[in-house]
Amino acid sequence: MINKKVILTGNFGVGKTSLFNRFFYNRFSDKYLTTIGVKVDKKVIQVENKEISILLWDIAGEVSQDKVPNSYFLGASGIIYVFDLARPLTFNNIVKDIEHLKEMIPDSIVKIVGNKKDLLSESALAETLEELALECDIITSAKTGENVEDLFEKLGMDLLALEQMK
Amino acid sequence: MSDTVGKGKSDFVKTDANDEILLAQLRQILLRKDREQLAELEDELNDPNKLGAKISPIIEYHLSVLRQKFPAEYKKEVEKLIERRLKESQDELLDVIYPVIGKMIRKYVNLQFQTLKDSIDNRVKGILSPRGIWGRIKALVTGVNESEYVLSGMQGPMIEEVYVIERDSGLLQAHYSRNATIDRDVVAGMLTAIKSFVEDAFNREREDLEMIEYGTYKIYIQSFHLYYISIVISGTLSSSERDKLSAKILDFAEEEIQSRRFMQSQGEDSVQKLSDKLAVYFKTEQEE
Repeated sequence: MINKKVILTGNFGVGKTSLFNRFFYNRFSDKYLTTIGVKVDKKVIQVENKEISILLWDIAGEVSQDKVPNSYFLGASGIIYVFDLARPLTFNNIVKDIEHLKEMIPDSIVKIVGNKKDLLSESALAETLEELALECDIITSAKTGENVEDLFEKLGMDLLALEQMK
Repeated sequence: MSDTVGKGKSDFVKTDANDEILLAQLRQILLRKDREQLAELEDELNDPNKLGAKISPIIEYHLSVLRQKFPAEYKKEVEKLIERRLKESQDELLDVIYPVIGKMIRKYVNLQFQTLKDSIDNRVKGILSPRGIWGRIKALVTGVNESEYVLSGMQGPMIEEVYVIERDSGLLQAHYSRNATIDRDVVAGMLTAIKSFVEDAFNREREDLEMIEYGTYKIYIQSFHLYYISIVISGTLSSSERDKLSAKILDFAEEEIQSRRFMQSQGEDSVQKLSDKLAVYFKTEQEE
């Protein structure tokens, strides 16, 4: 079994905890409860017949990534950076945020996730993605569960590849 | 000289003048090379770059000689000088080293005060409580030593769980538990998150979270460079027992962890072995 620490980060209210709950407990709530500090949980996923134990840290949202305590990121192998597709304020700093994250943990895998797909029409989604300064890795909806499993599967594959490179 | 005999004064003057010119011309011819060299030297002296290029190799050479010979020739002198300087400026020296040792002293003094306070509290509680009074009466009636009676009534500390956790990632490296617990990986992660949060929130560099208390449970945390050991204890723990536990943790770290290369990718076998060692080590502690 491979053990990996993964960080779930991004602006506040983008749906990090909803993705967390969908991934771990397959549930969703419309009530917004802000995360205080950090929430940690573990899930074992199967990738290419190998088991990867993901210890996911759901970090309280911050306007900018440089405001998140650095120690939370230490030792992380993967980072899931989430933004809200319906709120441009949550992806206006995306370039700076991603640069900061990559600078802090250079060898980690970073996945850029556009969440709340269910709130946008097809045309609005296309427009948003065009406006985005960086390419998004995956579009998800924690509410409907769309692509949430895919996100962790892709991350798992990358983590496995990273492990095999060592 | 014979040529000049009988000639007039003007002739002498003319001859002298010619001699002067000839002499000047001769000087010009003979000293031209010297003058050129002199001009060249002046130029070199006045131009810092040219002067530097000439002098640098000489200085370098002498410096290297000095570097080689200095320890042998001047060691004793330097030692005497330092010794004298240290004696003369003890106050300045204290200013420099105080921040380093001050922290250690403060920690030690705090610990001693805590021990003293614990001891006073325990005595006061013991004497004034109904149990204490009853104990004294019982001791008087039965003839049993009072302190033996008090000791028999104390509930000893019980090690419930021990975790060895990678410091940065919070990934669990080894674990021992008396009873089945909730997911130990999550506990390890959450403990690390709490630890990171506290250490960041109060912005105290090089200071670590050492204890978490909840009800009758205490979580002792001993941090090392790459990992930390966390022990969950139920029951009361005196200062001396705490010191003993701390020493035990240090022994375990030294004998079982630091001797192997501590990395999370060590493999499950290695992790299991370390967990087994952990059980042996801390089960024994409990039985004692």
